[in-house]
Amino acid sequence: MANTELKSDNLFEMMKAHLASDAGKELTKKIGLVYQINIAPKKIGFDEVSYIVDLKKGEVTKGKYEGGKPDAIFSFKDDDFMKVATGKMNPQIAFMRGAMKIKGSLSAAQKFTPDIFPKPAKM
Amino acid sequence: MSMRELVTGGAACAVPGSSSSSSNPLGAFANALIGSSSKTQGVLKEIPNAAAASPHAQFYPHADDPVAALPGSELDRPFLQSNPQGSEFIRGFRTADANGLADAWEEIQRQPHFDRVYEGATPAPPIQPSLDGIRPFDPRPPQRVLSSFLHSFVDSSRSGIPLHPTPLPLLGLSQGDKQCIRDRSSIMARHIFADKSEEFINAQVNALLSSLEIENDIHARGPMPGRFRELEDYWNESQGVLKPGAHAADGWVTEFSQNRPHHGDLEAWAHSFEQKHGAGGWASEFEQEQAQLTSVDQMRGGNIESLAAIQQTRMLAHTLSQNSDPKFQNSKFLQFVSKMSRGELIIDDNQVKPASENWATEYQQQYNGGASWADEFVHDEASRDLVEAKEAYRLICPDNQICYSGWWFFDFFQPDQWAEEFATVFRGPDHWANEFGAERLQQESVDDQWVNEFSKLHVDDWAEEFGRQVGEGALGDSSSDNWANSYDEFLNEQLVAKQRSDASRGVYVFSDMNPYVGHQNPLKEGQELFRKGLLSEAVLALEAEVMKNPENAEGWRLLGITHAENDDDQQAIAAMMRAQEADPTNLEVLLALGVSHTNELEQTAALKYLYGWLRHHPKYGTLAPPELANSLYYADVARLFNEAAQMSPEDADVHIVLGVLYNLSREYDKAIASFKTALKLKPNDYSLWNKLGATQANSVQSADAILAYQQALDLKPNYVRAWANMGISYANQGMYEESIRYYVRALAMNPKADNAWQYLRISLSCVSRNDMVEACDSRNLELLQKEFPL
Repeated sequence: MANTELKSDNLFEMMKAHLASDAGKELTKKIGLVYQINIAPKKIGFDEVSYIVDLKKGEVTKGKYEGGKPDAIFSFKDDDFMKVATGKMNPQIAFMRGAMKIKGSLSAAQKFTPDIFPKPAKM
Repeated sequence: MSMRELVTGGAACAVPGSSSSSSNPLGAFANALIGSSSKTQGVLKEIPNAAAASPHAQFYPHADDPVAALPGSELDRPFLQSNPQGSEFIRGFRTADANGLADAWEEIQRQPHFDRVYEGATPAPPIQPSLDGIRPFDPRPPQRVLSSFLHSFVDSSRSGIPLHPTPLPLLGLSQGDKQCIRDRSSIMARHIFADKSEEFINAQVNALLSSLEIENDIHARGPMPGRFRELEDYWNESQGVLKPGAHAADGWVTEFSQNRPHHGDLEAWAHSFEQKHGAGGWASEFEQEQAQLTSVDQMRGGNIESLAAIQQTRMLAHTLSQNSDPKFQNSKFLQFVSKMSRGELIIDDNQVKPASENWATEYQQQYNGGASWADEFVHDEASRDLVEAKEAYRLICPDNQICYSGWWFFDFFQPDQWAEEFATVFRGPDHWANEFGAERLQQESVDDQWVNEFSKLHVDDWAEEFGRQVGEGALGDSSSDNWANSYDEFLNEQLVAKQRSDASRGVYVFSDMNPYVGHQNPLKEGQELFRKGLLSEAVLALEAEVMKNPENAEGWRLLGITHAENDDDQQAIAAMMRAQEADPTNLEVLLALGVSHTNELEQTAALKYLYGWLRHHPKYGTLAPPELANSLYYADVARLFNEAAQMSPEDADVHIVLGVLYNLSREYDKAIASFKTALKLKPNDYSLWNKLGATQANSVQSADAILAYQQALDLKPNYVRAWANMGISYANQGMYEESIRYYVRALAMNPKADNAWQYLRISLSCVSRNDMVEACDSRNLELLQKEFPL
């Protein structure tokens, strides 16, 4: 486990388990889309790590999407992604400020809300 | 008129060093004396008490003696009637009732010779009409005192002598009066002391206000109507960029906020604006002001340096040159601006000329305001995508209804022209500037059209468009509400982000107004409160302690623990860092820092502190080779802790740290096992139960987690973090309704728990309780508690 790991990694790991739960299954039913989320440690477009959040199958995988084209692609910085996922910044604002880049279908992008992510509990 | 003042920050919000944007110094001064004028009459009408605010004679039975003794009373003499223009002006004022004043004002603006009256009288006319001159039928001794006192205030500008607070007889000023005087004097001071430093101005104003027993700050900065507070702060901030005198903007803001509740909301605002002025009214006023600026310039006789303009432009040029777009870099506009910033070009009498004279100051400032506004937008690189987005949106989602309501700005694009307008703006200075620059250079040598062009180009369309949209209700109530909400949120978030960045840099943010400051033994008080579970109170007491004894490690430590239990990790970290500074080897502190950083997913930092715990532990310190500290790897640290656990399996602390470490590596099963082992040794440690619960929650065993949290809460009913965690667990199971109750409960105990507010908002929108989302945004706990009792 390298020290340069992203905060977002934690969240995606959590999400893997989350999607297997009942609430997660609800989510796949409700949304049924495939998102690709690119996370950059410092600057969007550099050293990005891609996650596929497949809300059709209820899976989270690291790397490129194999099944064709994702419905929407989002790019974030690590910190900003955490802010959006935990509700500290709403996606619209993130987009306005350039903290979130969107490619793909807009209707798909609009379903991207913080409630698809599990919230980390605190010790 | 009034709207223009409010919007352009014209006469009411003057810029030091440029008295001409205060289009009428006499008007401003007269305002200060009588507290009413065309541009504020509307506002004053809305303030209860303010219109009838003038104190009456019965408040002031012994008027004569003290009046004579007061500073400035020698100025209390009739206005010089020999000046025809001046008396014209006064008559204008006298005859004007609430509605007529605006006309009078405009009449005055048009008077060609008006300027001459004040030619020899900068920065402020020494002889002013007293109130008796203005309202001869209503002599009011207290006002005379006031007016003479204000005269002495003005006089001090010529001499540069600091004004000293003077006890005045009881004037019986109402709140409205006081506010009015405060605002006006702040604004006026910036006019008349334009050549003085900001400190001097503040000192003067404070002296004046304290003499009048007006508190300078409390009302100005105090509670404003909740929803628009950020907007106003933000406005203030943006004004601050343009001019050093943020106070002037303050006055504006206060007026605005007073006005606000009466106008209800944005739409009403737009409506009333439209009714008053017609759609194009704003623009034409803008033009008027331009004309007026020119005349003011004549008044000043061009003897003021255009330095300010050059400086402003320099800033602008700098900002613009940050834009790396080559198209923009080569644009004529940028060249134009940079020439201007070097003083090579100057705009005089609406014409661009090689440097010699100085029309430009105000225009620059205003226009720079526009540019920095645009600049705001260029930072949002979203620009071009947005235009595409709009296109795409129309194709994909014609029935706007199904869209997630939060995406207001896509909804907003539906009315086409508006989108076009908006997109133009959003494309940022690049496009705008090119257009602007091109136009400018073509017209370099042309005349008044210049100004007209500018005002039409940018203001007319926009205002008209906006007015029309709102007027037609084309946007619908909800989407403009959304717009306002989201914008509010955007500003709010910026403010929070600012505070956050302080906290995340490890700077502890103290609360304002701490009642425990001056307490004899705040530490003891804090410990007692902590024990009782009154966490938010304990925070205050402990803050008082560490303010008193900044080196008290125990004070900082307990403060950090309290914040952690109160669900505020940023503050917890900041406090713990101070504790660690004071006592670098305190094990509890090191563990707490490790836990907090783990919560914030800051792995490197977490690892450092957990390793530090091991190193400084009297028993296990030998296990930790000091050279490892420079290059920590998770695996090494975990191995060492496992060794420690084998060494003394009865030490609960080792198991706790191990559990935290496994959380870092997301080996939740191992973490749960470690915490369970520790719990066997320390079954009454509520924070340990919470750690177990959090770990179970993060490994998606929410049902178990809730049991663990319940244990923690049985041991410590006011454990905010556990309440919030409960909420998270329910939310993660999709039981949003339940989660809301727990969040609300947590927030009732600590309204400063930001995370809980954010999570609450998400849960509320998940159950489509938009009404309550609003309550959440305005942090209306009472309403939320009523709606979601636990």
